[in-house]
Amino acid sequence: MVSKSFSTRLSLNILRIVSILFIVALAVVAVSSHVLMSREATRSATNMLEANIAKIETTLTSVEINTQNAAWIAEASQQDEARLFALTQAMVERNPYIVGSAIAFDSSYRADHQFFSPYSFRDTDNVVKSKLLGTEGVASFEEEWYRIPMATGECHWSEPYFDEGGGEMMMSTYSYPLKDKNGKVYAVVTADIALDWLDDLMQSIHPYDHTHATLATAQGHYLVKGKTMDLSKQTIFSTAKFVKDPRAAELAKRMAAGEKGTMRYTHHGKVSFAVFGPLKNRWTMSIVCQYNEVLAQTSQMHMILILVGLFGLLIMFIICYRTIRHLTQPLTEFSVSALNMAKGNFKAQLPEIKTEDEMLRLHDSFAYMQKSINTYISELRTTATANERMESELNIARAIQLGMLPKDFPKQENFELHALLYPAKEVGGDLYDFLYKESDNSLYFAVGDVSGKGVPAALVMAITRAACRFFAGMGMSMQQIAENLNNSVADGNDANMFVTLFAGRIDLTTGKMEFCNAGHNSIIIIPADENEQPYYYKAVPNIAIGLFPDFHYQMETLDLKPGSRLLVYTDGVSEAETKKKELFGDDRLLAVASSPEFRKMASEEMVNTIYTAVKNHANGNEQNDDITIMAIVI
Amino acid sequence: MDITITQEGPKTLAVLNGRIDTTNADKFQQDIAPLMQGEKPDIEIDCTGMEYTSSQGLRIFLMLQKSVMARQGQLVLKNIRPQVKEVFDITGFSNIIHIE
Repeated sequence: MVSKSFSTRLSLNILRIVSILFIVALAVVAVSSHVLMSREATRSATNMLEANIAKIETTLTSVEINTQNAAWIAEASQQDEARLFALTQAMVERNPYIVGSAIAFDSSYRADHQFFSPYSFRDTDNVVKSKLLGTEGVASFEEEWYRIPMATGECHWSEPYFDEGGGEMMMSTYSYPLKDKNGKVYAVVTADIALDWLDDLMQSIHPYDHTHATLATAQGHYLVKGKTMDLSKQTIFSTAKFVKDPRAAELAKRMAAGEKGTMRYTHHGKVSFAVFGPLKNRWTMSIVCQYNEVLAQTSQMHMILILVGLFGLLIMFIICYRTIRHLTQPLTEFSVSALNMAKGNFKAQLPEIKTEDEMLRLHDSFAYMQKSINTYISELRTTATANERMESELNIARAIQLGMLPKDFPKQENFELHALLYPAKEVGGDLYDFLYKESDNSLYFAVGDVSGKGVPAALVMAITRAACRFFAGMGMSMQQIAENLNNSVADGNDANMFVTLFAGRIDLTTGKMEFCNAGHNSIIIIPADENEQPYYYKAVPNIAIGLFPDFHYQMETLDLKPGSRLLVYTDGVSEAETKKKELFGDDRLLAVASSPEFRKMASEEMVNTIYTAVKNHANGNEQNDDITIMAIVI
Repeated sequence: MDITITQEGPKTLAVLNGRIDTTNADKFQQDIAPLMQGEKPDIEIDCTGMEYTSSQGLRIFLMLQKSVMARQGQLVLKNIRPQVKEVFDITGFSNIIHIE
């Protein structure tokens, strides 16, 4: 998977955060706009309701006033039948809403006790006709418009009914009772109004497609026909049952009770709200709107917001990405520079920074690092050159040092001698030397170990060896040699260097060995007689050379039989270690020297055998001290 | 190799542990630097834990001994293990340094 670039990641992060903010803002806008929109819709529906109620009431009031005026006239001219007829006719003709009018007297009006009721109406051809009701029978007088005002003595709007034989339409009748001096109702003046104009009015109320406005009486009878179903046989209570939400029934109840208000309920699966209010004649009107339609506009607005927002986010992402990439471009170039530096080009070109910001600081740090590295490298080169020179000089020094040691080992009839010196890593301080003096047929030999390592030890070693050879050449005794050496090394020995030395002289004619052990390891003597075991010769201990001036060294003598062997060595042999710091030790060395094969070996073979044993013991562990072994066979 | 130096009245006590070889001789020399100071020192080194010393180590013991003598003080090595004592014996250091 390809990892995303810094600018992509940063841009995506910014995009993510801004998106979250955008969504939150959108949610707040959505919720608040819904609330506002709902409130606004409710308010506007209420306004609409009140306006329409006022409109209907104006009409109803005109009808009521006409009727009341007619009643007043009818009361005054109740004995003039022709005038009563003219009155009803004038009612119908003067008010376009009134489609019929009657003045119904009770049976006490006429002498024959017949009901009397002059009646005018507008027929289907819009022609006003008159006739006398009551003579045909008592049926009309059983109707609500007569019965109720007669009984209550109050004016009354009837429930809607279908007028047969007259207007052939849905009507409601306003009745105004006439009373005698005793307050007894003796006649009812009526005005019939057609309800079809209410249908038109209700249908004109549609702020939204599915808004429906309805008008009903206090008993729940619909005053309108209805758009989708015939409401003439329905009441607001019966239609409420079609609506599953129980709150619809409550709405119907509150409407019938003449309450004014707003209710929220689910109308055929749509969350809706109803505003409702009473008319003064106890009719009730409601307007029901569906929320989804109310909020359709806001939804549309949200859609536009989302689109604008998405577009804005896209633009923002592009700008962010480009800006960040532009700003971080130097980083890419820095990485190329760093890579170049990693490949060894320490003078790699750095990107040019024009802005004075962190990038400039990075550039400065980078440049500083580059400069430091270059300085360091040049210093390192100088040091390395110096080190190389020093190392090569040390190598030369070691070569010179080793070159000073005699390499031609004598193999004569009366003796043979072999020695090896393996220096540890650095220039070491071990030494060996021998000198055969033909003049007195004697062999001088010495093995020494200078304390410490390196050039100081090598210098002391060189001095010691040269001095040994010089003193031996002068024919000094071993004691004199040791004391002279001691004084020359101890003199001005601020570094506290010292040398352990075993020096000896064998008179090959007599087999007598004169020797001095100045703080050196004990030598091993392997007797000529095979019955005698090899042993460490514990010499009189003298201090190492160079410790204190004017020390009196003690010399010893030992008689050696022909065939005797001597092993002289330095502590590099006995103290050779394994990785676990286990020393080779005196016992192992003596064991090697005691084997029957070893006792028959020539000096060179002896030396090599011991060296091999030491190496085997060390088992690959690094040699940390010079190893010197000398074997003498007489 | 490690060395702990404590002062008990006029006596300086040092406890030496481990090996002194080529690799840590310089450290040993630095560690005993406090013993190279002061007039008429009375130094006692407990060598119970000292496992080995190379000639480098001996050289530093020699320096210490010379320094102590120059300041008219005394130096004693105690509880030296036999195999280490042998090195001191062979090189003649036993004659120079007081070993108990």
